[in-house]
Amino acid sequence: MSIEVKNLVKVFGDKKVIDDVSFKVNDGETLAIVGFSGSGKSTILKLISGLLEKDSGEIITSKGDIAMVFQYSALFDSLNVADNIAFALHERRDLRKKFTEDEIKEIVKQKLELVGLKGIEKLFPSELSGGMQKRVSFARAIVTEPNTILYDEPTAGLDPISSTLIENYIVRLKEETNAASIVVTHQMSTITRTADRVVMLYNGKIVYEGTPSDMLKQDNEYTKQFVTASLEGPMKMMEGN
Amino acid sequence: MGTLQKYFKQSATYKIFTGVYDTFYDFVDTLGKITQNGIQLIKALIKGGIDRKELIYQCSRFGVSSLPITLTIVGMTSVIVASQVALEMVKQGGGNFIGMMMSILIVREVAVIMSGFAIISMIGSSIASEIATMRVTEQIDAIRVLKVDPVSYLFVPRVLSGIIMMPFVTIIAAAVGVLAGAVTSDLFAGLSYRAYFDSAWLGIYMKDLWVSLLKAVFFGGTIALISCSCGYYASGGAKGVGLATTKAVVWSFVAIVVWDMIFAVAFFF
Ligand SMILES: Nc1ncnc2c1ncn2[C@@H]1O[C@H](COP(=O)(O)OP(=O)(O)OP(=O)(O)O)[C@@H](O)[C@H]1O
Ligand SMILES: [Mg+2]
Repeated sequence: MSIEVKNLVKVFGDKKVIDDVSFKVNDGETLAIVGFSGSGKSTILKLISGLLEKDSGEIITSKGDIAMVFQYSALFDSLNVADNIAFALHERRDLRKKFTEDEIKEIVKQKLELVGLKGIEKLFPSELSGGMQKRVSFARAIVTEPNTILYDEPTAGLDPISSTLIENYIVRLKEETNAASIVVTHQMSTITRTADRVVMLYNGKIVYEGTPSDMLKQDNEYTKQFVTASLEGPMKMMEGN
Repeated sequence: MGTLQKYFKQSATYKIFTGVYDTFYDFVDTLGKITQNGIQLIKALIKGGIDRKELIYQCSRFGVSSLPITLTIVGMTSVIVASQVALEMVKQGGGNFIGMMMSILIVREVAVIMSGFAIISMIGSSIASEIATMRVTEQIDAIRVLKVDPVSYLFVPRVLSGIIMMPFVTIIAAAVGVLAGAVTSDLFAGLSYRAYFDSAWLGIYMKDLWVSLLKAVFFGGTIALISCSCGYYASGGAKGVGLATTKAVVWSFVAIVVWDMIFAVAFFF
């Protein structure tokens, strides 16, 4: 058991954004969370990483670092790429004196190569394309060798080849570190390549849970609508508050 | 009941009272957040581990980049005051008191208050918008997930730089102000430099200087803390950044005036 969520509830104003959600992710397992825009996927990740306070329920994670790759990269725009990636190594109290500057340089280079980038250490985030920013933020998140990894749409906005690169890396990282991972995504390729299991959220509740291949069988009305991207089905757009 | 409630909610009385309540709530809320940040800041300072490079960068931003504007404002204020009163005082036979009056005025109040205003509009606003932008683009969330304390990373170097640099800015501003007063008195009223500085020297006591520097320390720290805090609690996109910046400027202005009053009462009565 590495991430366990029990009866989780989160309310914004008078809207229950997360409504009694429970699931488990074992070590070495990747769970994909899918669902409409606004269904509460990012909120779940923020609750697990401790950025938001839950209203009730339980979240149990194993000891060690939690990493998060943000939906909109969230790179530090006053720092260059190298300092972004090395941020935790420079600023965290328990890591600050652990590595020399040369070692940090080497780590940064390594992490950049892992996400298919090279020689951009001195550039600033504003000088990168959206996809490059995403990959740098990926490198920044994993620099502390975390054992719980949360990805918020890691492949959104990437070209198919860069997506595959990231997807392969998500799998590789999981195998190497035996981390428990959660991937929020809209992309079928990311689900099938990285996830062991899928949960689908709608209106703050889990409406489907199963394997990616089961999901493609379309024997559930919700997944059928999602996979076929249909306007007809149990899920209605036009929600609002 | 339903309709009654509806009409009640449209009534001017209801709007005025909820408006007053919201304003009051916001005031207490902001004050609470600033205080809380202040306490976290002190805790972070006690823990130590200050990033020297960042501190030096913030100091140069706070002290050096604001200097041209600060000196212009303080110098102009002295020129205006001296040009208004110098000739009149000479005519009335009070020429020997011009230097004294100018030096007391500048050292006790003008230098530190005007520097404060200049710093708020230049540095406070930029600190607030910078941190607010980090908030709305989730950079502060990223800092937290990487297990770095945002208060010690963002607040400590900025507030320390305010505390360290503001006294220097004030000293330089006071010197420029007194000098500008001398030049102006000479040009407008033909008062000799000698007469001006002899009397200026009589007017200032050590206590004036110390109180002024102590004020500068408080002003600098307060401006930086308020600006950081207002940025830190920004929410909701570009508009939120704008609101946070305005709030930082308004709160800093009010705060230093309140400090100034407290100091005046505590040291000169
Ligand atoms: N800080 C907040 N304050 C108020 N409401 C919020 C806040 N954060 C999110 N919400 C609301 O919670 C709901 C879920 O938001 P969330 O960001 O988790 O959606 P999501 O599933 O990640 O959507 P997307 O696919 O577009 O990223 C939305 O209705 C949103 O309006
Ligand atoms: Mg989201």
